[in-house]
Amino acid sequence: MTKTQIVFVVLIVVVLAIVGVSYLLQRSGGVQIAKPTTLSVRIVCALPVEPFVREAATQFNAEKHTLEGNPIEVSIVPMDGLVAMNRWERDEMDPIPTVWIPDSRYLVELVNATFKEKLGRDIFLTGGEYRTRPIATSLFSWGIWESRDAVLRAQYGEDITWQAIHDAAAAKGGWAELGGEPEWGYFKLVVPNPRKNVGGLLAMMAAAGEYYQKTRIEVADVTNPEFQQWMKELMGAVTDFSSLGSYSVENLALFGYSMGDGGQLLESDLLTNMEGIRTRWVEPIVIRYPQYITWFDFPYTIWMGDETSAEEKNAALVFEEYLLSPEVQKLALAQGLRPANTEVSISEPDSPFVRYQAQGATAVVPRSTRMYSPDRDVLLAMLRWFDLNVYAQ
Amino acid sequence: MAKQGTVQPARSRSCLTTLVLSIILASVACVIAVAFLLRDPDEDTPPSITTNRREVGLALAYSPEKAAILTALVDDFNASRTELPNGKRVVVSATSISPDQMATGAATNAFHAVSPDSSIWLTEIDRHWSARVPEGGALVGETTRYMVSPVVIAMWEDVATGLGYPDANLGWKDLLNAAANDPQFKWSHPSTNSASGLLSTLALFYAGAGTQRDLTEELATAQSTLDYVEALEKTVRYYGEGELAVMQQIEEKGRTYLDAFVVQEQLLVDYNQRYGRQLVAIYPFEGTLWEDHPLALLEHPDRTDDERLAYQAFRDYLLSADVQKRILTAGYRPTDLSIDLNQVGSPISATNGADPSQPSTTLQIPSAAVIEVVRNAWQYTKRRANIFLVVDVSGSMEGANIEQERLALQAFLDQIQSDQERVGLILFASNVYEAVPLTLVSDGRAELSQAFSGLTAGGNTALLDGVNAAVTKLVDLNDGERINAIVAMTDGKENSSSVSLQQLTRKLQAQAGTDLPVVVFCIAYGRGADYSALSALAEASGGFAREGDTATIQDLYKVLSTYF
Repeated sequence: MTKTQIVFVVLIVVVLAIVGVSYLLQRSGGVQIAKPTTLSVRIVCALPVEPFVREAATQFNAEKHTLEGNPIEVSIVPMDGLVAMNRWERDEMDPIPTVWIPDSRYLVELVNATFKEKLGRDIFLTGGEYRTRPIATSLFSWGIWESRDAVLRAQYGEDITWQAIHDAAAAKGGWAELGGEPEWGYFKLVVPNPRKNVGGLLAMMAAAGEYYQKTRIEVADVTNPEFQQWMKELMGAVTDFSSLGSYSVENLALFGYSMGDGGQLLESDLLTNMEGIRTRWVEPIVIRYPQYITWFDFPYTIWMGDETSAEEKNAALVFEEYLLSPEVQKLALAQGLRPANTEVSISEPDSPFVRYQAQGATAVVPRSTRMYSPDRDVLLAMLRWFDLNVYAQ
Repeated sequence: MAKQGTVQPARSRSCLTTLVLSIILASVACVIAVAFLLRDPDEDTPPSITTNRREVGLALAYSPEKAAILTALVDDFNASRTELPNGKRVVVSATSISPDQMATGAATNAFHAVSPDSSIWLTEIDRHWSARVPEGGALVGETTRYMVSPVVIAMWEDVATGLGYPDANLGWKDLLNAAANDPQFKWSHPSTNSASGLLSTLALFYAGAGTQRDLTEELATAQSTLDYVEALEKTVRYYGEGELAVMQQIEEKGRTYLDAFVVQEQLLVDYNQRYGRQLVAIYPFEGTLWEDHPLALLEHPDRTDDERLAYQAFRDYLLSADVQKRILTAGYRPTDLSIDLNQVGSPISATNGADPSQPSTTLQIPSAAVIEVVRNAWQYTKRRANIFLVVDVSGSMEGANIEQERLALQAFLDQIQSDQERVGLILFASNVYEAVPLTLVSDGRAELSQAFSGLTAGGNTALLDGVNAAVTKLVDLNDGERINAIVAMTDGKENSSSVSLQQLTRKLQAQAGTDLPVVVFCIAYGRGADYSALSALAEASGGFAREGDTATIQDLYKVLSTYF
């Protein structure tokens, strides 16, 4: 054997040895090579702010933010606040998200109370670095088709009230009796299904507030037979709970006056859909502010349980800071939300509050009486009444 | 020396070449080894059919009326090779089934997502799910809409003009008056297993109860309501499997088939786009319903995050600007509100018999419980039928054909929910034999089932004599209040009848012009069947012929059962 042949054979043996050893290593689980760990921030997000948070998350992910060298990836799961609350309380939130953004802070308080009973401590914090902070606000306002608004105001006065809506809903002769067009049919109220959208439940609470002329509703108010009869007449004007589901204003825009004449709806949803409504239908919707205001503050709430790591919680803080930065808060404004960061003005010419001023939108809310958040028992009483007297009928 | 001088450099070159090759080989081996070490040990898991390591499948069930656009969109989506952030490719497989079948299929995790014609069925899906898994919460998860279309009464323009169109606000009442006052007026609505059929039925119950909202179980089942609905249902020519099937018949038979029928606006627009404005949409002034075509994810306990993401990817595709424009071109109203329905070239226009500013109002959708009551009550108020099943038992049917036929006939009978229908069985081979006379299903269900299971094959094919016998019996019965129909099936060619095809088609044509039309629906069973003869029979009577085989015969009989 020549020297060359020996070298060749040795090399072949070396090659086979490398392949063989690597195969054995592979079979035994491979070589552990340290790679940066992606920090996942999974956010369960209320429906009205989901487009804003999703847009911000897409932008954030594209910018490749990191925490101590580890990339942060934000993902969004849209879920109504009430549905999420039920999942928390029944231990059905699977997997546990890093962050929960419900519609209102009081839902956080209700869930916290449940966990305090189970664990003896708060699971969402109200103070310190990880405290709950609103990312934007919005409020209930009346959204009514312009022609219907004119008829209602001529009939019941300048202010749109739940009593006026109730009386319109109860009119046996429909719109013709109220001075409107016969082909409009009956007055059709838009209320989201309270089982799918916390907005539906809070709209019913707001109606109760005006009925009793008070801002704090109690169980006895909900179970009062006279109130229940009044509420039943009101809810009898809802055309379709199955289709309206969660996205009430989107549906109002999509199906137009055929499915709803108006309702108490989220201001941001109304503003977001104004342009689409103008394009699709022959008349616009106008915004009117109610007697008692129901606010939504969309709190950014970090889960403090062991299911998420300390690094993930900190990554959630990085995204929270990003959401509250002035540039990103402008995205919220573009979606008709009132930014939580006061550095962002809502009175600029390109603000939807200015653009839709002619339709009744205002930067400064003309009323200050605020509805109190109802207790859990009140919520449950109202839902039970709805199930038995409206949905089941 | 010279030899040595030439050999040595050659040997050096050879040595060098070997060395270089060896180094290259070693390098390749090292690369392979390193790549091998760094790869995911699980990657060589074998792929499964729908979902594997590189693909995630999204099984979608959709209602049949949107088959044309949805299958095209699914094909284009799959061709786009869309991937999830983890690199897996999304593959959508779409199946067309009726919405009420969706409710049962969804509960068994047969699909990941559904797109019925209306959100009404989503409530049904959750209801079925709750009955199956009482503590299971809601099955219907994230839901979106990508196109909508209102349900309209489609009328030939001359018919509508005769009723006062376009000046008068026409509605359900006018349609029902026209049907009640003119025995020749032909109208139809699908059975209640489609949104348009359900809406028509709800509209009748509302009219019968004398209200436009707050329809309760008590009102729906009040005797006066039931009497009203029953009287009007008697004017229905016959029912059907769905609005798409009605449109197919309209395309084949044209103006003579029906005067008015209930469909979603898109089908009317699509027809007029292809044939010019012939049909006009009546948006009933009492109110209508929208086919809102939801796309809903089913949150079955086995649902994976990949499947959720696949749903979202397909959803985003349907909502993308290009697809939304395509949806408008097909005659639907897109959910992208930035698309103006009044723009130049929009098919939702007067040119196509439609009005984008309509409808003005909708009927109130009652609760799921009331809808169930209405669907059940309809079974007892709908126009009843005398149906002869005319069945080939000639020699060619022997074996698998007759086996499947027995099952198909039983499936047909099982689908007939109302015991008030009359069904009879006529068998033909070399001769004709009335196996079961026309009998109320309440009395004859067992006898019919027994007759089906006892079918045996042998002899020639006297198809025309078989059909003729059924026609004669129905005419002699002279029961104009009911739909009189024949469902005839053969797998062969006529070779034993005394009556000719021409004589029988003339008889059927003549009968079609009387107050007692007899409609013949034909099934050409297998390749040997004489489809042209069966078509001629069906055509002459206002029915239709369909082709089937051992794999489809059961479904075909089930579909035909929806016409009664």
